[in-house]
Amino acid sequence: MTAINDHMLELRDLTKSFGTFHAVDGVSLTLGKGEIYGFLGPNGAGKTTTIKMMAGLLLPTSGEMLIGGFNMVKEPIRCKAITGYIPDRPFLYEKLTGDEYLRFISSLYPGDGAWPLPEAADDYLELFDLTEWRHHLIEGYSHGMRQKLIMTSVLMLDQPLIIVDEPMVGLDPKSARIVKELFKKKAEEGTSIFLSTHSMEIAEELCDRIAILVNGKIRATGTVEELRALAKAGSGHLEDIFLELTGAFELQEVIKALRTGPRGVVTGNKQPGGPA
Amino acid sequence: MLPRLLQPWFRTSANRLFPGKRFGINSLLILLLGLGVCVTIYLVTHKVLNYFHSQNELGVILSLKIFQMAWITIFAMLIFSSMVASVSTLYLSHDNEILLAAPLPPREIFFMRYITTSINTSWMILVFTLPVFGAYGSIFSAGPLFWPLLAVAVPTAAAIASGFAMLLTVAIVYLFPAKRTKDIVLYLSLCFGIFLYLVFRMMRPEDLVNPDKYSEFIDYFSAISTPVGPWLPAGWAANMLSVYLLDGRVDWLMLGLLVTTPLVLFFVGEMVMEKLFITGFSKSQESFGGHMAFRPVRRFHSTAAWIFRKEGKHFLRDSSEWSQFFMIGALVVVYLYNFKVLPLDRSPMPTQYISNLIAFANIGLSGFLAASLATRFVYPSISNERGAFYLIRTGPLSLGRYLLYKYLFYFPPFTFLTLILVLVSNSMLQITGPMYWISLFTELLTTWTCLGLALGFGLYFADFKTENRNATMEPGAILFLFCAVLYQFVVILSGLWPAFRLTRRWLRHGGMATLDLSFILGWAVGMVILSLLLVLLLCCWAIRKTEK
Repeated sequence: MTAINDHMLELRDLTKSFGTFHAVDGVSLTLGKGEIYGFLGPNGAGKTTTIKMMAGLLLPTSGEMLIGGFNMVKEPIRCKAITGYIPDRPFLYEKLTGDEYLRFISSLYPGDGAWPLPEAADDYLELFDLTEWRHHLIEGYSHGMRQKLIMTSVLMLDQPLIIVDEPMVGLDPKSARIVKELFKKKAEEGTSIFLSTHSMEIAEELCDRIAILVNGKIRATGTVEELRALAKAGSGHLEDIFLELTGAFELQEVIKALRTGPRGVVTGNKQPGGPA
Repeated sequence: MLPRLLQPWFRTSANRLFPGKRFGINSLLILLLGLGVCVTIYLVTHKVLNYFHSQNELGVILSLKIFQMAWITIFAMLIFSSMVASVSTLYLSHDNEILLAAPLPPREIFFMRYITTSINTSWMILVFTLPVFGAYGSIFSAGPLFWPLLAVAVPTAAAIASGFAMLLTVAIVYLFPAKRTKDIVLYLSLCFGIFLYLVFRMMRPEDLVNPDKYSEFIDYFSAISTPVGPWLPAGWAANMLSVYLLDGRVDWLMLGLLVTTPLVLFFVGEMVMEKLFITGFSKSQESFGGHMAFRPVRRFHSTAAWIFRKEGKHFLRDSSEWSQFFMIGALVVVYLYNFKVLPLDRSPMPTQYISNLIAFANIGLSGFLAASLATRFVYPSISNERGAFYLIRTGPLSLGRYLLYKYLFYFPPFTFLTLILVLVSNSMLQITGPMYWISLFTELLTTWTCLGLALGFGLYFADFKTENRNATMEPGAILFLFCAVLYQFVVILSGLWPAFRLTRRWLRHGGMATLDLSFILGWAVGMVILSLLLVLLLCCWAIRKTEK
């Protein structure tokens, strides 16, 4: 299915501008087969915009996106046929049951015919404790259950590339653990995973390589060790490296201001006899 | 086997109507009410047409002219709703994220949107017009092909309207630098306004009901057989059916045009979608305009003031909402224009009788307009709170008071619109005397009651997870509209007799008898009590359900 290419995903000088504002500014990166790539960055850095372009929901202003060797702009159907996309705020048809939803998603991708359901779906539903809920309407699902259902809908397809925007939002610790293990297993089996996250712990534990995006540009990229060296953060955790690369000095200023500020927000030094 | 992309729509509708694979009480209630409304519309239309037919040949011709006018109006309404719906379904639907990330060719998505938009935008109009057309078939003793022809004409007109609207939407979004959704809807609104103006100017309704245009009756009679607006699909349908009603002949040319046009529009739309959609969709995503700074609020900080402010700002800052004012404005202008060009002076009946009759009938028309607008704007206003509704529920504000504030917010614009409709149309019809006050009172009462009913139904059927807040396919919205129309029927039909007595005497003798006055006052008091009871009971019921 995939064209001959060493990389499952390749972004070349990808840019997305909204008027004069460059949300994504010349991003280039590659993702190899079986690799997990973490995409970190502060709020508004351009992570979701990049991911939406990779999923085919936004057209880039310039640059190229190759998925499995196919160009996303020129051959979107081929690219999408090998990509599974998990958005940060997934849409689910409220009046469908979980089972109906999975069958519908399955029918959108190349497969056996109308309304098929891959066998893997049963396993994932079982894994996520959703089996007994599969014939209930989605409108009755909790936030975590919805997230698990959308995970199931993508994982069951067994796509060679999975793009995930904030994978653990709303998941309980057990499910989060399961998802992490699943991602590791998938990667071992050759699936490439591109994930955007705010969780340093997930990035540190899962990702082979990490890119840190600031103001639409890649500020740094590499393994955790390479980033550590770049940030001169010694044996610091990824959070320290992240803060160092994205402007930790500002954070220090903020903390200092909060602790010593005139309103005493943190110190809470209320005057005796003042209002409780 | 349904195409795969239609499965969610089909399953969603089935799960909504048959929760738990059973036919729910709500669905049964809606079905019964719908049937009741349809039967009532049928009976009323039958009676009116029967009256026309009992007069003379002119009555027959006039009834057919009304038939053709109705078709043109229906088509304009279909285009209007299709344009609004096209933007929502093509560019704003939440499932776009799933569908466009999947390996689906745009033409397949277009097919699904074409079918669902056609159904979503036309079903309500179909429900209300089929009994009317059925009454025509019955009165004209139409041949066996009338119903099959109608079954072809109605869905094809709907498909043409949505095909045209979707084509226009895709082209506009591609051509214009639409950075925000508001621009899309704004351009569409302007296009619709121009379209509507052209339709009515080229149709020249004043000529349609003007027998003086024709030297002899036979000319006038044969004029019906010629297409009204031969360039307009509604004209094809109206003409085809009129010809069949009159002389039992099938106009194959019109039928052919009706059947082939949706197909042509579909294939053209599919091509345009394939070429232009994804660029347009990408543009419509670029809503990067939230950097405008607004002035801080300095005065009026009560709860009521903040609820009004929140509602107002939410509405006005969501430009996909306010730009619909253009369309409503266009509809109101056309509505009132029809009164201006009514050739009352050429009527065989005394002008005053005719104009008073029209003024009374106008109560129903403007009431329906108010109910439709309430379905579109007021009914979904509770569900539109969506996830933020918890603020109301957890705050120290009772639901009753919250509903009251909502009511007061919608009260001025709806009252203003009603006053415009009734005062301008009465002025154009030169209505004076009791009918002036009867129409004013009844239109205001029905509008205010519709507002209350819309809020009551909106709260009772509130769905804070709805994906399309303008969805009029919701059972609650359907139920509300049926109830509002039924309520208006009750008010108008019960007032027919006392209003007739009072107006007749006033027109003949220039005065009002005490007995007639007491009848009309009794009716008015009765209707006010009925309206208050309906609204209060419904709201209390809805509040109790929500609090549970």
